[in-house]
Amino acid sequence: MFAQNNAGLKGIVLDEQNIPLPGATVTLNVEKHGTVTDENGEFILANIPVGWYILEVSFLGFEKFNKKIHLLNYQQLQIRLHSSVHELQEVNISEFTKERQREVTTSYTFVDQSFLTKNESGSLMQTLSKLPGISSMDIGSGNSKPVIRGLGFNRVVVAENGLKHEGQEWGHDHGLEIDQHSVERIEIIKGPASLMYGSNAIVGVIDLRQLAVPVRNSKGGNVEVRSATNNKLYGFSTNLFQRNENWYWKARLSGKSYSDYRVPADSIEYMSYYFRLHNQQLRNTAGFEASASTTVGYQGTNSASHLTLSNVFMKSGFFANAHGLEIRSSLIPYDESDRDIDIPSQQVNHIKIMSNSYRTTNLAEFRLDIGYQHNLRKEFSEPVPHGYMPLPPDTLERQFSKHAASLHASTSIHSLEHHELKTGLSAEFQKNIRSGWGFIMPDYSSMSAGLYIVDKIEISNHWLISTGLRYDVGSISTADYKDWYSTPVNEVPVRLERAWRLNRNYHSISWAIGTTFLNGPLQLKMNAGKSFRMPNAKELSSNGLNYHMFRYEKGDSTLNAEESYQLDLGLDLIKPRWEVHLSTFINYFPNYIYLNPTAQYYEAQQIFYHRQSQVFRSGGELSASVKMTNELSWNMDIEYIWSVQLSGEKKGYTLPFTPPFSATTGFSFEQNLKGWLPNFYTGIDLQFTADQNRIVPPEKKTPGYQLVNLRAGGTVKLENLHVELSLQFKNIFNVKYYDHTSFYRLIEVPGPGRNLFISLNFPL
Amino acid sequence: MNKVLLLALLFTLSFTACEKMSDDYDDESPVIDMTAIDASPQNCITIFRGEPLEFNAVFTDNIELGSFSIEMHHNFDHHTHSTDAEHCEEEGEEEEKTPVSPFRWIENYTIPSGLKSYTATVTIPIPQGVDVGLYHFMVRLTDAAGWQTFKGISVKIAEK
Repeated sequence: MFAQNNAGLKGIVLDEQNIPLPGATVTLNVEKHGTVTDENGEFILANIPVGWYILEVSFLGFEKFNKKIHLLNYQQLQIRLHSSVHELQEVNISEFTKERQREVTTSYTFVDQSFLTKNESGSLMQTLSKLPGISSMDIGSGNSKPVIRGLGFNRVVVAENGLKHEGQEWGHDHGLEIDQHSVERIEIIKGPASLMYGSNAIVGVIDLRQLAVPVRNSKGGNVEVRSATNNKLYGFSTNLFQRNENWYWKARLSGKSYSDYRVPADSIEYMSYYFRLHNQQLRNTAGFEASASTTVGYQGTNSASHLTLSNVFMKSGFFANAHGLEIRSSLIPYDESDRDIDIPSQQVNHIKIMSNSYRTTNLAEFRLDIGYQHNLRKEFSEPVPHGYMPLPPDTLERQFSKHAASLHASTSIHSLEHHELKTGLSAEFQKNIRSGWGFIMPDYSSMSAGLYIVDKIEISNHWLISTGLRYDVGSISTADYKDWYSTPVNEVPVRLERAWRLNRNYHSISWAIGTTFLNGPLQLKMNAGKSFRMPNAKELSSNGLNYHMFRYEKGDSTLNAEESYQLDLGLDLIKPRWEVHLSTFINYFPNYIYLNPTAQYYEAQQIFYHRQSQVFRSGGELSASVKMTNELSWNMDIEYIWSVQLSGEKKGYTLPFTPPFSATTGFSFEQNLKGWLPNFYTGIDLQFTADQNRIVPPEKKTPGYQLVNLRAGGTVKLENLHVELSLQFKNIFNVKYYDHTSFYRLIEVPGPGRNLFISLNFPL
Repeated sequence: MNKVLLLALLFTLSFTACEKMSDDYDDESPVIDMTAIDASPQNCITIFRGEPLEFNAVFTDNIELGSFSIEMHHNFDHHTHSTDAEHCEEEGEEEEKTPVSPFRWIENYTIPSGLKSYTATVTIPIPQGVDVGLYHFMVRLTDAAGWQTFKGISVKIAEK
């Protein structure tokens, strides 16, 4: 029993259904005395000096229990935890990231829901562009393309639960078809990643994870509503989930609608032509998005499997006065409404069915991911006769219907001492069918398969080496295509042949070798790797006028698979009061596939053709933060990319869309107060972007600018309702600036003006 | 800490090394000069069926000119891509109409290599049978590096 002047506490921890919770953490005065509940949910804390204590009980997936107690002698307590139903929880995330941070030998960033909420922007990539080394190529206010360290298009892989997302990544104006609210956490790898992800993972991977599993015997959901002032956005997203012992389901429904967005300018001056803007709004850039997804899953002790079905539909308009580079005036009454979507416009419907499963034994872990997706993209323009093309019959300029099936199977053997051996196989099949009156590339089908092996060697507790090898084979077959109208050739009308049947086979070896060295606050990383990318159908077989850019684009059927060699160095210093993260890279392409603007014309349009050249790139990111007090911290992010073409017709030039040097610095204040506004946070950021004077045709030099952004939020307690509030005030001084990598940069359209964004998240 | 310094050094070195690499590339677009007295066609002029249209302009570039193209198409639907800020008076008067036999000219022209300045003259025959009305005359010019400039001119084809 207990000694006279000592007290003790005995108790049981239960959930709302009075089921005992084994493994809950019980502490008195934070860490001073602590224990974990046994298999019956019971605990004992003995030999505690008499006095006042703060008892804290926590268990993953449940709200923390707090109580001030006066321990005089032996006491008994029954503690009931309430599940934090509005949040889906997973295996201990911080442990998980720590481990991943160690085993990924290139730069690794983990993004959780709280980052996404605090920084939410018009599209997923705009939200993520706050991270150093990540940027977005924006197409208006609701669409964007991913860019990692200055490269995008087909050189970045966006994956969902390990399987590649398949859209029409080659297009300048084709954004990412993903509902940003469906994303639960994101892993970003900056560095060569073909070893695990195959073709296209040249500069990195953005892997969206939707694998959060609800806790046992729980149900719940939330509704988020949001609004923004600049593009009069209204949006909502709601999710529901339920789990019994092992089976669970999740469902989500999201929608948003936005008007033409506002720029701090009364007119746009392009090619000495003035487009007067109505109400400072960028004519016909409104849009809407609707998406739904549902998951059914089984979570056992040693195995899990889930199946997700999702559909994303998005439609948005293009700036009406100059689609691509051509200036047009139209009879469409664009200014009648700022919410209607007239032509030119684009719409995409993306269906995805995915299954992710694993099974763990004492020896190994087996994983199987299977997916099917259908991306249906339609692009509408006013039918206009052009060149020899007569008046087209309708507004459907381009349509692409892409079916993709993919599979990834892997085995990790974790029973070996000091080694973790992983082997895997992935395969993919694609078919892309085009239609519409504007021809840019022919129909194609492609297949690829890869086999890899990775070994992680624990040299010591501090030192890990990771090395791997992969072999891929692939093939692409493109169809032939003839114009639907005739062109006079020596005065004889001929339906010109634009594409020919082509079959190309590729094979490539990828590899990586890297190391992580951990010593107290210091973490050093080094990685060397080779990645590759099979040329796509547009690079091989395009042969037509790209009306969105107003240029004649020509493929090259002899292109080889693009290869990239990269060396990454990383340094992280994490002290209790301050942190420094530095990651740098040097990158060499012996045969970068480049769409080269030439001096020649074809049917009066400038010819751009695909060529391969040597490219050297270097750059990196530097982040630092200092905790000035427990609540107040200062942070800074710097990023810089430098690239040069070492051979070919553009020797000495940079690569297109190279982001300028940028630095962001700011203060943030976070407080975990109790009361009516717990978890209060606020922050101010100054974003400094330098001039970009290193350009390549048809780009324009872009002057630098500074933006100031504010954010604030917290949990608002209204009776029993805990509402998460998030506010963002962007470009507060309404600065007129040009975003060098925006789709609209070439037609001198400035970036969006002042914008106040608000979101409210209610638990159900 | 030595390792930290070494890495920081490597980082700065790689940047400064990059900055010193070749910077002598062309980043200027060529220029289409149609301000001369004999430059033709001028915006909003009227030309006649059965008579040739003379194109006359001076092209200049800081390094080397590339090539040029001329494209003429009807503007019966009144779409605008004139690069001259001024609208032509005729545009308001003309009715929109359906083309029957519109005039069309799509040609690419070379410029002898190595030139920084070139006076382009092209004679474009306008046949008798083409539709009268508003047309666009587009000139596009590249330099050897692939920079492009274009100029859009509104012209009217009329019956003599």
